[in-house]
Amino acid sequence: MTGAPAPITPIVLRSVSQRFGRKVVLRGVDLELRAGSITGLVGANGAGKTTLFLILAGLLQPDGGERRFGGREVGDVDLELRARLAFVAHAPQLYPGLSARANLELFAELRRAAGLSSRPADDVLRGLGLPVDALDRPVSTFSRGMAQRVALARAVAGDPELLLLDEPFTALDARGRSQLAGALLAERDRGAAILLSSHDQGTLLRVCDRLVLLEAGAIVREVERGGDDPAAFAVRAAAVLDAVGPDDHAA
Amino acid sequence: MLHLAPVRLLRQSLLLLRSELRQELRDLELVLTSTFFTLVVLGMFYLSFAALEKKHTLPAVPGLLWLTVAFVGTITLTRAFDREREADTLRALLAAPVERLAIYVAKAGSTLLVLLVCCALLVPGLASMFPAGQVFWDMPLETAALVVLGCLGYVAIGTLFAAGLAGGGGKNMLLAVILYPVTTPVLMFALVTTRALLDNNPNLPSYLGQMAALDVILLGVGALLFEPVLVGSAPARSAAAAQRAARAGARRQESP
Amino acid sequence: MKRKSELVVPLLFVAAAPLVVYSVQRVFLHTPNERTMGTAFKIFFFHVPMGWLCMLMALISGIAAYVQLRRRSRTAGAVALAAAEIGFLGGLGVLLTGPIWGHATWGTPWTGDARQVTTALLWLVIAAYLLLRHFGQHASERLAAALAIFGAVNVPLIYYAVKLWKTTHPTTGVVAKLPPEMWATFWPGLAALLLVSFGLFAIRARQLILAGELDEAYVRLEDSRA
Repeated sequence: MTGAPAPITPIVLRSVSQRFGRKVVLRGVDLELRAGSITGLVGANGAGKTTLFLILAGLLQPDGGERRFGGREVGDVDLELRARLAFVAHAPQLYPGLSARANLELFAELRRAAGLSSRPADDVLRGLGLPVDALDRPVSTFSRGMAQRVALARAVAGDPELLLLDEPFTALDARGRSQLAGALLAERDRGAAILLSSHDQGTLLRVCDRLVLLEAGAIVREVERGGDDPAAFAVRAAAVLDAVGPDDHAA
Repeated sequence: MLHLAPVRLLRQSLLLLRSELRQELRDLELVLTSTFFTLVVLGMFYLSFAALEKKHTLPAVPGLLWLTVAFVGTITLTRAFDREREADTLRALLAAPVERLAIYVAKAGSTLLVLLVCCALLVPGLASMFPAGQVFWDMPLETAALVVLGCLGYVAIGTLFAAGLAGGGGKNMLLAVILYPVTTPVLMFALVTTRALLDNNPNLPSYLGQMAALDVILLGVGALLFEPVLVGSAPARSAAAAQRAARAGARRQESP
Repeated sequence: MKRKSELVVPLLFVAAAPLVVYSVQRVFLHTPNERTMGTAFKIFFFHVPMGWLCMLMALISGIAAYVQLRRRSRTAGAVALAAAEIGFLGGLGVLLTGPIWGHATWGTPWTGDARQVTTALLWLVIAAYLLLRHFGQHASERLAAALAIFGAVNVPLIYYAVKLWKTTHPTTGVVAKLPPEMWATFWPGLAALLLVSFGLFAIRARQLILAGELDEAYVRLEDSRA
């Protein structure tokens, strides 16, 4: 809810680490996500991207390090914080038997039951270019790309201050990708802090204000879009993206 | 403005329960598979034990009743959380501004309803197959109370462990391994109470009261552990631990 | 600090050694046979302490698991696992000696009475906990903790179960009615068993904690190489 007093941005991770037995997933990650900015998270599969998302979304307690939301250290990501962030995971996480509208309305009603506001389902869906006649079909009949858009619609319906997107472009066609990119830019302009992971290099270059490279659980490189020289950013960003390797997901 | 926690819990539990039921009514998957399984087990019991004399069925009927509940409960819980796992929807709820307890309440509630539907077949089935089960017809209120209390205790614990396995990406095979030992105490109380019912034991109300008390304990434990098991809880940070973290941070700064 | 804790285990065993010898010879040579049960009664001196040990360890495991869950302490997790393993062995002892005693006194190894059944159930929960700790993935560690907590919640239920169903099993008051010379044999035996068990428990817990530290050291080594 944007009417809430202090903003939860910037979101800061400091020395965040996570391991499972001898398998280290994250080793001392420092990351800052600012309001009105899109951060692209790139890295090979298994670099720890998803774990980082889970920690930011409050679905996993890190083994070590701090999470700070708006300057306040956070132990549990409690309901009040979850009300102000949204997570679009790699899977669309929709009830396949319910229609797109029923899926969205369930979460909108859950928000309202907690006293939180939510934008009407039809509005958000139309903003993402979903045909309105598809709204009442069960999600199980949807293509992956359509389901992904419904998931994003659910995420933005609550006007989150922190928007986390793990591979949202997977299985989207070119048009879908550019619509999604447009939606993300709109969210950024609204003032959301956005963390986005993707293998789609073109779209990352287009929307991101910053790129961070995660390698074997640590952030090894970081490039920021300077105000003056877009070409320089593209060159430096290309170097980061090259480090990840070829575009193996988007096909 | 945010509503108070009890208000949120109540309203969100109802919403989630309604959503569970709505999905179930769409294809009746859980109800149909579980009731079918109940009938199969009943049929097998009939083939195995129909020849028993009444005095022998008397001690057998409580066992048949609660064994079936244990079997059907495992199947129902496994399937209910398989659905969540397939679409990863449990995680979406955990990340949303939803009271985690509401997820527990809704899942336990919907599973309880499925079990009760199965019991609505099972109890009359046993009552008509075995002469000892005649009491079920004669004392419908007590029978209903017994079945509801027994199933409630079962789902109170079963939901916690089934959700924990589904949320943790645990292996499904383990669910049966965990569920049977963990739910046997409540099933044992139910067995003894059923025996008391069949024996016309005058202490039956007190046995039922004890089952209710056990249910309260089990629901309390389930509710208390649900969130820590599914997402973990933040360590209560001592001052010493905070200092250690600060020192570690300083060391990180120094090292190149 | 570490040095001191290393002394604890040898001390436990040193204290236990004479006690074990003393109680065994006392049980078999110096305690008169019980009037009705005869020689078989001697199993009482093993059966009851192991029963107490099993419950005590289940309780320790449950409390440690709760600390593990609440504080995310790996040390508590190691303690919970070690306690469960000792409790598993104690329970196995109870379940093996119980039928022998039962056969001699009631003529049947298994009367199906409440305390027998609940002890067996507690043992099954402990076994399920060990299965989950060994075969579950890391994510199911919290679930295993819940299982251990549930095992501990079972312990008072066991006592309650005995009260609820008056059965053929000797009531909890059996110890109080023993003649003094039986008492004098019982307590040293209990102490010996507890000392040995806590020694084993301490060794196992420390081994598990060290294994965790080894993992950490391994991780740091990998880090420094990277």
